[in-house]
Amino acid sequence: MTTSDVLILCAAGMLVSAYLMVGQRALFTAIRLYGVQSLLLAIVAATIAVSEGRHELFVMAAITLVLKAILIPWFLMRMIDRIGIHREIEPFLNVPASLLVCLGLTVVGYRVSTGFPEGARGVSHHLVGVALSMLLIGLFLMVTRKKAITQILALLTVENAVFLVAVGVTSGMPLVVELGISFDVILAVLILGILVHRIVDRFESMDVSRLSKLKG
Amino acid sequence: MVGGLLLTFVLCMATAGRFLGGGVPAAFGDALRVDGLSALVLVLCGFVGLLSGTYGVGYLRRNEARGLVAPRMRRKFYGLIPAYVFAMLLVSVSNNLGIMWIAVELTTLASVFLITFHDRDTSLEAAWKFLMLGSLGLAFALLGTVLLFASGQGHLGEGMSALHWTRFMQAAPSLHPFTLRLGVVFALIGYGTKAGLAPMHTWKPDAYREAPSPAVVLMAVGMLNGALYCILRIHLISKAALGPGFSSGLLLTLGLLSVLVATPFILIQWNLKRLLAYSSIEHVGIMALGVGLGAKAGVFGALLHMTYHSLAKPMALVSAGTLAQLHSSSDFKRIGGGTFGRAPIASAIFVLSAVIITGSPPFGIFFSEMTILRAGFSGPHVTVTAVFLAALIVLFCGFAYQVGHLVIGPPRDPAEGVSEPESFDVGMGTTILAAILAVVSAFYLPGPLMALIHAATRVVWGGA
Repeated sequence: MTTSDVLILCAAGMLVSAYLMVGQRALFTAIRLYGVQSLLLAIVAATIAVSEGRHELFVMAAITLVLKAILIPWFLMRMIDRIGIHREIEPFLNVPASLLVCLGLTVVGYRVSTGFPEGARGVSHHLVGVALSMLLIGLFLMVTRKKAITQILALLTVENAVFLVAVGVTSGMPLVVELGISFDVILAVLILGILVHRIVDRFESMDVSRLSKLKG
Repeated sequence: MVGGLLLTFVLCMATAGRFLGGGVPAAFGDALRVDGLSALVLVLCGFVGLLSGTYGVGYLRRNEARGLVAPRMRRKFYGLIPAYVFAMLLVSVSNNLGIMWIAVELTTLASVFLITFHDRDTSLEAAWKFLMLGSLGLAFALLGTVLLFASGQGHLGEGMSALHWTRFMQAAPSLHPFTLRLGVVFALIGYGTKAGLAPMHTWKPDAYREAPSPAVVLMAVGMLNGALYCILRIHLISKAALGPGFSSGLLLTLGLLSVLVATPFILIQWNLKRLLAYSSIEHVGIMALGVGLGAKAGVFGALLHMTYHSLAKPMALVSAGTLAQLHSSSDFKRIGGGTFGRAPIASAIFVLSAVIITGSPPFGIFFSEMTILRAGFSGPHVTVTAVFLAALIVLFCGFAYQVGHLVIGPPRDPAEGVSEPESFDVGMGTTILAAILAVVSAFYLPGPLMALIHAATRVVWGGA
C-alpha cells in the first residue's frame, strides 16, 4: 500500500464513521465511533509526518491520539454511565431521511473541494472533500439531535473536520498554535461536561430541546 | 482586584502612549504588536475592565449583604473577571492569527462560568446555548484561519511567524484566491458569532440576561470590541488580496441585517437586560456597516462609534444592573413601572444613558452615526443607508417607549415593583462616574484618544 492509499483509506473511514454516527441511536456506540474517527485522524497525521519527514506532525498525531481517541471518549462514557441515559430519543428528522441529506452534503463538500489548488499530494483533494463533508454532517447533526451528548459529539466532529483540513492542505500550522488549540478543545469539552451534569440535575433529562424558556 | 485593574489600565495607556510617540511596541518576535487599531482597542478594553471590576465590587457587596453570594462564589468572581480582562487584552494586541483565536476562545470559556454564576435554570440554558454557538463559531473561525494559512502556502514562510498578520499583508498579492475567499467567509462568520452579528446573535440576549451585570459590561463592550478587532484584521487581509469589494459586501450585509433584526425585538421586549442586548446587536451592526460602506469617512465613523459606544454603553449597563439588582430581577414584569419614584438616581442615569445610546444629539453616538450616514449617502450604497436610517428611527422610538414605560409609567399593580432603597456605595459611585465620563466625552474627547482613532482609521483604510 502506498502512502496515498493509506491516506485515502483513513479519510474514507472518517467519513464512514460520521455516517454511522448519523444512523446511530445508542450513545455508547456513537462515542466509540468518535474515538475511531479520531484514531483515523491521528493515523493520517502520522502518515503525512512519515512520508514528508515533518516531525512536528508526530506531536500533533500523538496529541490527537491521547486526547481525542482516548481521553475525551473515556470522559464522555463515564459521564453517561453516571447519568444513566444510553439512547438518543427520536431525532427531529428520521434516520433514512437524515442519511439522504448527508449524502447531499457530501456531494456539496466534494464540489467545493475542487476549487483548491492541487498540492504536492494528489490526495489532498480527497482529504479536503472528506473534511468539508464531515463539517456539514456535523452541523446537520447539531441541529437535528436533542441529546446534549450527541450535540457535543457533533461539535467534536466539526473540530475533527477542521483538523483534517489543517493536516490535509497546509504544511502544518505552527506547533505552539496547535498546542493552544488542543488545550482549548479539551477545556471546552470539560466545561460542556460540567454543564451537562448540571442540566441533568436540574431538568432530570439530557434533552436540550427542553431548554426553551428564553425567547424573544 | 481594582488596584490590579487600574494598573492594567495605566499600562494600556502607557503602551498606547508609546505608540503615539512614534514607536510600534512589539513582543515575542512580533507575535504581539501594537499598531493604531490595537492601541485604540487596547485602551478601550482596559478602561472597560477597570470600570467593570470597580462596579463588580459594589455589586457583589450588595448581593453578599443580602446573603445571595457565598464567599466561595466571591473568590470565583474575583478570579474570572481578571481572567476575562486578560484574554480580552491579549486579543487586542495579537498580531498572530493563531494567538488571536486562542485568546478569543479564552474569553468564551471565562464567560461561560460568569453566565452560570447565579446558577438558575435559565442561566444553565443560556450557558449551554452560548457555549454551543460560541464553540461552533470558533470552530468556523479556526477553519477560516487554517484556510487563510493554506492560501499562502509557500509565501508565508515557516514557524510561528507564518501566521503573523503583518506577514499576510506582505504576501497578500500572492495568496491563492479561492482558498482565501473560503477562509475569509468562515472567519468572518466565526468571529461574527462572537461579536453578535445577526444571524449568529441568538446567544446574546440570553447571556446578557443571565450573567451578572459587571460581566455583561465586559461582554457587551470588551468582547464586542475584541471580536470586531478580529473581523477588521480578516477584512484587511481580504481587502489587500482580493480587492475591497468582497469582505466589504459581507460586512455591509451582516451589519444591516443586525440592525434590522434588533429593531422588532426592541419593540416587543420584556426584559431590561435583553433590551440592552438587542441594542448592542444594533451597535455592532452599525460598526460593521460603517466599515462595509467602503469609504474612509465610514471607517472613521465606525471607529468613532466604537469609542463612543465603549464610553456610553457601560453607563447604561451598570445603571440598568443597579435597577435590576434593587428589584431582584430584570424582567419588566417584576420591576413594574414608575421606577423613578423608587430609585431616582439609577433611573435618571438610565434614562440619560438611553438617550445617549439611541443616538440623540448632542451626544457622541449621534455624531458617529451621522458620519456613517453621510458616508453612506455620498457613496454607492444609498438604498442600504436609507433602510439603515429608517431602522435607526424606529429603534429610537422603540427604545423611548420601553424606557418611558419603565421609568415613569404607572405601576401596573401595587404588589409589583417591590424594591430595596438606593444606597450610596461603590457600585453607585461607579455608576455616577460612568455617567459623568459618558457625558463629558460627548463634548470633549481627549487629544490622544482622537489621535488613536485617526491612527486606527489609517490602519483600516490604508495609506499613510
